[in-house]
Amino acid sequence: MRRILIIDDEDDIREVAALSLEATAGWQIFTASSGLEGISMASTEQPDAILMDVMMPGVDGPATFRRMQEDSTVAHIPVLLLTAKVQGVDQRRFASLGVTGILFKPFDPLTLAQQISEMLGWK
Amino acid sequence: MSKEETKIDALLTSLWNRNLPLLRERLGTLDRAVAAAASGHLPEILRSEALDIAHKLSGSLGMFGHHRGTEIAREIEAILKDSTPDNLPRLAALAADLRGTLFPEG
Repeated sequence: MRRILIIDDEDDIREVAALSLEATAGWQIFTASSGLEGISMASTEQPDAILMDVMMPGVDGPATFRRMQEDSTVAHIPVLLLTAKVQGVDQRRFASLGVTGILFKPFDPLTLAQQISEMLGWK
Repeated sequence: MSKEETKIDALLTSLWNRNLPLLRERLGTLDRAVAAAASGHLPEILRSEALDIAHKLSGSLGMFGHHRGTEIAREIEAILKDSTPDNLPRLAALAADLRGTLFPEG
C-alpha cells in the first residue's frame, strides 16, 4: 500500500485530497497543516511521496522543499507541489526547484490518485 | 455512480455545507475590499487579505464543482495582485458574479 503525506494549510483541501486518495486508490494518508510539521512527519513516517501546497503561511512550499533537501532523512522522498498558480512563469519557477512534479488546484478528487501515479511512474 | 464516487460526493457536500459560514465571511471581506477600492482607497492590509482569499477560492471552488467560481476568483486575484485605476473598477462586477454563481438563490 502506498503511503502519502499531504501538507496544506487549508483544511478542506487536506480533507478532500485525503479521502480522494483513500477511496480511489486505497492509499494510506498522513496530513500536516504546515511545512515544519510536514518535515517532521515525513522524517517519522517515511511516506512514498509528499503532496505539498505552495502558498502556506510561515514556511511556504518551496522553502519547505529546500529544507527537506538539506535533511538526509527526507531528501530522498519525491515531492509534488500543489498550486493554484496557473501562470507559466510560476510553473517554471516551481519546476526549477527540482520537485518531481506540479499538480494544479482545483484538482478533480476522482482523478487525483491517477495523476499522482502517472507523475511518479507508479503502475 | 461508483461506490468511491458516492463517498467522495457525500464528503464534498458535507464539507461545502460545513464551510459555508467561512465562505460567506470570505465573500464579505472581498466585498469590503471592493467597497474600499470604489471609494478610491484600498488599504494594503485589506488588499492583501482579499488577495489571499481570492487565491484560496480559485484553488478550492472547482474542487466542489464550482468551476465558474474558480475562474472568477482567478480574475479577482489577478486584479488584486496587480491593481491599476483601469482594472480596479471591474472588481465590483466580478465580486457580484462570484456571489451570484455560488448562491444563485440569493
